[in-house]
Amino acid sequence: MGVPALSVAADGDLIARYLAGEEAAAAELVRRHAMALARFVAAHGAPDDELEDLTQEALFKAFRALGTFRGGASFRTWLLAIGGNVLKDRRRRWRRHQVVALTPDIRDPSGDPGAQAEAGWTAERLQEGIGKLARLQREVFLMRAQQGLGYEEIAGGLGISEGAARVHYHHAVKRLKAWIA
Amino acid sequence: MDRMSGELPPEIGAAWKALEARTAERAARVDVERVAAGVLDRLRREGAEAPRFRWMSPVALRAAAAVVVLVAAAAVVRLTTGGRESAVRLPVGIPAMDSLSSRQLEAVWEAAGEVSSAADSVVPASLGGSLDDLSEAQLEVLLASLNGAEG
Repeated sequence: MGVPALSVAADGDLIARYLAGEEAAAAELVRRHAMALARFVAAHGAPDDELEDLTQEALFKAFRALGTFRGGASFRTWLLAIGGNVLKDRRRRWRRHQVVALTPDIRDPSGDPGAQAEAGWTAERLQEGIGKLARLQREVFLMRAQQGLGYEEIAGGLGISEGAARVHYHHAVKRLKAWIA
Repeated sequence: MDRMSGELPPEIGAAWKALEARTAERAARVDVERVAAGVLDRLRREGAEAPRFRWMSPVALRAAAAVVVLVAAAAVVRLTTGGRESAVRLPVGIPAMDSLSSRQLEAVWEAAGEVSSAADSVVPASLGGSLDDLSEAQLEVLLASLNGAEG
């Protein structure tokens, strides 16, 4: 049996091939996961002009530390957790700026101006609320609501218990509900 | 993509959908090929992260364990003779114990149990040959001795 093509190889195989010196395997992993990571970073409130840089930074850090990846969670979840660490370092800077102007860009498909304004306002409030969550609450919430991950997977990626992941998620939802009420 | 958004309460469900649409639009502006090229370029220039520690080989582990036992024995001798005996000097240096991870220290401690019988002759019979038999005060002396040997 030959070596599978990069595009169909499992993440674990690509990791092994990259560690064995096959650079193209890293490029394939980036193609697979960069967009999900960029969405995760964007949902944290990262400004548009830093999205690409943050995505690259998190991927670089992940590949640099790939020797420590133990497979307790999927490569993507591990990558998102690293993205969370990169974001932590930048959050202070963002707090000093109004980073996302959502209202003009959010349109309700019904075309109703009232609904558009309402959707824009609540989405903006929600973005603010996400920014105000405690770090673990925010990461667990986004990993679940946006990335569709299960609690066990989230727990493995963040190094917390499954029960803690559930608690963080429910706290986040409660706080967001209260924030936009 | 937001497979779990259906479980969100209605109060935030609609806002989340609107926010996610905007988020996806923003993320789509990221050039994945440019990101891949940038990552590979940095990896070529800066390389992989140096490992924080290396596991000790079994032989080195046993040697370290033997040193621990010998130092313990010397400390006990010094304690039980009230310092009248001349200090026992070891012909080897102690590796910097604080450079070991807690797992490595545990492994050293475990291995120490295996080699402690070989050191029976230097440990007073009244105290037995096991580190488990040391009192708190004796362990404190042992720790002080280890610190002294490191310094």
